[in-house]
Amino acid sequence: MSNNRVSRRQFLGYTLTGVGGFMAAGMLMPMVRFAVDPILQQHEGGDYVLTDQAVADITEEPVRVDFTFEQTDAWYKSEVTNSAWVYKEGDKLIALSPVCKHLGCTVNWAGSPEHPTQFFCPCHAGRYEKNGQNIAGTPPLGPLDEYQVKEQDGFVAIGAVRDNTLV
Amino acid sequence: MHFIGKEIDQYLNQQDYIDTVVVPLLQIDLSETGMKSSAGASEYLQNLTALLEKQFKGRILLLPPISYGKTADRQRIADELTKEVEHTKFKHVFYLTTDSEWRTLDSLKNVLWLPAIPIEDMDQSFKNSVMEDQLRQVLPLFTKEWSHHS
Repeated sequence: MSNNRVSRRQFLGYTLTGVGGFMAAGMLMPMVRFAVDPILQQHEGGDYVLTDQAVADITEEPVRVDFTFEQTDAWYKSEVTNSAWVYKEGDKLIALSPVCKHLGCTVNWAGSPEHPTQFFCPCHAGRYEKNGQNIAGTPPLGPLDEYQVKEQDGFVAIGAVRDNTLV
Repeated sequence: MHFIGKEIDQYLNQQDYIDTVVVPLLQIDLSETGMKSSAGASEYLQNLTALLEKQFKGRILLLPPISYGKTADRQRIADELTKEVEHTKFKHVFYLTTDSEWRTLDSLKNVLWLPAIPIEDMDQSFKNSVMEDQLRQVLPLFTKEWSHHS
């Protein structure tokens, strides 16, 4: 038997502190988790999709590069293939979105025989310069969007879409 | 544009630009022998029209496939569809189908008949390139029709 006996008052004090501590922790822990949650989130937008287009083959002439990623729409998962017009400006890679800023058709490089150095939208004859600048007098009201793009192991990797930074 | 609520809002604001309606015509065959090829044709047709919509999003409205049984009266369907489109602002109507019986019908203009290709066993990238090839056959028919009447 131990010599230092615990009095009734002490015993109740310890017990209440212990139980109270558990209850406080039970309340505080989820709060702390909620507070730090935004830091732990993974940012999907920053992911790059690797394509099978070699960077060495890219010239100053825009080429179409397809890239596929998985898209979740509510409970329906599907593979989506998008494309980008990729070219080199000096040593810098540039990838433009093919989605027309007018009503969302797909634009083609040199799609019109009369304008071989422009992007052309077959729907309403919208045209863009090589850097995505929309040509005044044609229906589009803004420049083509740009993809973030980088070289990864010698291949083109395409990232998030953003506003055109070239014009 | 797809025939969904959000895009119809956009359509209603931009009716002058979206002047073409695309109607897929799809035969449903539920017999044990015909089911597989009917489903394959459905997959092909919906893939193709989705790709077409992606290319020409700002100028066409893609309707959901009009489905009917083997013994359906094509003439009646044609008359009903024509009547429905008659009082709209659409200037061009295209019907896409893999069902060869539509070729014998004269009353419908712009019926594009394509033989269905079984795409279910192809891997993704091969399927994409096959469908792109198919699309390339169809695109000029659209641009030709548009340049004729504008």
